Amino acid sequence: MRQHPGTANRVWLAILGLVCLAAGIWALLLASGTLGPAEDPVLSGPPEAVTGPDYAPVAALAAGLLLGLLGLWWILAQIPRSLTAGPFRLQEDAARGITVCDPSVLAAAVQHETEHIPGVVGATALLRGSADEPDLTVKVTVNARADIRAVVDQIQGTVAPHLASALETPLHSLGIQIEASNKPGLAGSTVSSTGTVVY
Amino acid sequence: MSAPGIEETRPPGPRRSRTEVGERGATVLSRKVLEKIAGQVVKDETFAGGSSGGFLGIGARGDLSARPRTEVELAGNVASLKVQVGLPYPVPLRQAADALRGRMSDRITELTGVEVRQVDVTVSWLMPDRSDDGRRRLQ
Repeated sequence: MRQHPGTANRVWLAILGLVCLAAGIWALLLASGTLGPAEDPVLSGPPEAVTGPDYAPVAALAAGLLLGLLGLWWILAQIPRSLTAGPFRLQEDAARGITVCDPSVLAAAVQHETEHIPGVVGATALLRGSADEPDLTVKVTVNARADIRAVVDQIQGTVAPHLASALETPLHSLGIQIEASNKPGLAGSTVSSTGTVVY
Repeated sequence: MSAPGIEETRPPGPRRSRTEVGERGATVLSRKVLEKIAGQVVKDETFAGGSSGGFLGIGARGDLSARPRTEVELAGNVASLKVQVGLPYPVPLRQAADALRGRMSDRITELTGVEVRQVDVTVSWLMPDRSDDGRRRLQ
């Protein structure tokens, strides 16, 4: 249900690897004397000469800031995020009008139905994909009294078909994640009595 | 040829022309009136609903007996509507939107004479069937 920055990590690690490889090759060539005599000092002259012209410190500062911002972005990208879909456009007839439904609206209905299954103490639903190929992921928290097989059966046999009938298309995929908790059930605080009162 | 004692009635005269009707005045409908008529049609004649409660739109909850929010865009005698509705769940949303669109178009044209060309439907909430929640309801 969470999106991790796997692609960004691979790209940036590949870039850093190439930079380190280039630096290593350059150091190797320098040490072997291919690029020039090894007797010369790396830094020669006064410190002012090392920084070069006047704009060099400013450029170094800007480059440092840029690298810092990139590093910050990379760290923030590590925070897992929920990958949600855009609004489902159910009908796009320009002559008669369009019909739009946000996936969170459908997910809330799915969540409500799931929470009313006996033994379920909490549920989170996430709908992705498109209106024609919806992907549903349900995270269900059950307590010790739950029959997990029955919970799964009811999600597969009732909750998912209801969503499919609302969208008028079969679900492309259904994922169910089950967690255990010791909390009491949320639903069922009242019950309708059918008993007879005898005076 | 008429019976005695009964005065012969004068044959009905020709109907007044449209020009005369126009001279007597004109009926103008505000856009707001159309919006309220559209909302009322949805509330009374369809299974869709709106939102009720809350303050300045904050804390409002879905209510199938409330009038939904509608927006009307007029171009002469032709109207385009946008409506934010809530629907019972589970219902086929496309079919429900088509039924809503057809009903709104027919009734608004019938009531006001304005031709409805497009109805954009936004489903803003869904109300699952709560027949098993243990609460009694007035029928």
